[in-house]
Amino acid sequence: MDKCYVMAKATLTCKKCVLDATTPGISINDETGLCQFCEHYTPLSKEKKEEYRARMDTLLKSPPHRGKYDVIFALSGGVDSSYTLYRLKKEYPHLRILAVQFDNGFISETALENAQKFCDLTKSTYMHLTLDQIILQDTFSKAARSTGAYPGTAKYRASDICNTCISIIKQKIIELAITTKSPFIVFAFSPGQTDAPFVTLTKPFLVWMRKLFDGNLKAMGVTERDAYLIDAHLIQPGSPEPEVTIIHPFLIWEYNKPEFKKECIRLGWIDPDLKDHNSSNCLLNAFAIQNHLEKYHIHSYAYDLAALVRQGNMERDDAMKKLKVDASDASIEEVQRKLNL
Amino acid sequence: MQEPREDILDFLKTQGFLNEKTVLQDNDSLSETGVIDSITLLQLIDFLEGKYNIQIPVEMITPENFDTLAGISQSVMKLKNG
Repeated sequence: MDKCYVMAKATLTCKKCVLDATTPGISINDETGLCQFCEHYTPLSKEKKEEYRARMDTLLKSPPHRGKYDVIFALSGGVDSSYTLYRLKKEYPHLRILAVQFDNGFISETALENAQKFCDLTKSTYMHLTLDQIILQDTFSKAARSTGAYPGTAKYRASDICNTCISIIKQKIIELAITTKSPFIVFAFSPGQTDAPFVTLTKPFLVWMRKLFDGNLKAMGVTERDAYLIDAHLIQPGSPEPEVTIIHPFLIWEYNKPEFKKECIRLGWIDPDLKDHNSSNCLLNAFAIQNHLEKYHIHSYAYDLAALVRQGNMERDDAMKKLKVDASDASIEEVQRKLNL
Repeated sequence: MQEPREDILDFLKTQGFLNEKTVLQDNDSLSETGVIDSITLLQLIDFLEGKYNIQIPVEMITPENFDTLAGISQSVMKLKNG
């Protein structure tokens, strides 16, 4: 059967997930009613999942003790990362974890408290990582005002603001793993946000990723970029290979956010009760979503949520609710004021 | 065996956001044009390993080998032909 895609019928939403044909780049097959992603989706086999599980056990049960920490953990203080930290330590109690919370200046007080609480609970070392707040705000402001700094695919994964923030976190966490000789980095990305359970870092790959992010920042007009990037000396020719593997546990464990939230609350996690349905830690997020929608007509969580629905990790109705933007969210105005927009 | 180039294009059209109408030249940078980002690159590698029954060594994942249609096709052929 020939593929027959139609574009941009105002009310056409994929029958299976939540992607909508009004979103640029999304097409719905008028015969099957499915988007291009649902049409070609193959679920991860049980065998593959078991293979990944065995690999994670092998890596984390006997990590090479090269430095003070076995794992550099990216902790936002939200549900996913708080739960992951708890479960990681529960399943691998011997792990020496440095949990890094990147404070972008918009992290809720509750998220800061939650992060420290979960570090105490798991006996992990807590690190509050931040950069010059004025420069960071200027960078987020430039991200909001920019158009097309992140070309193509990246636009679907996150807003320009979130892409900037996440890229800074990745660059700094990788730098930290290299300098502390930590063999593993753990990110609590949802199965909608990433597809690779393990990523082995090599110098050429890091040089490549650094160059791309540097280009994104440059396109936004950010002049002082070095503070956001991996120290170039660490990946220059002649420097040692990084010997760092990134692990994404949510591609191996079952992903059930409502259950994670219940478990976190039982453990003392406090819900910051943000109006934004898509973040439980960052006050910048609601504005970032709105800004992205205005610029590109793309809801920056649609692709992520659609993947979760497609995989059976979220109910379609719940994802639909998360895609509703609340323009009355007071945090949006507050962010605009802070970013001088 | 179908040309890796066509399989790569099919993959990018069905699993990525490559517009059906976009014309990609063999030596266009896929990352700089936004056709792939780090996540799509890893998905593509996974796809190629399965499709061609090959193991792509991590040290091979460089811009020279994996940032253009030509580079990826050649890398796959090299691995496939031993």
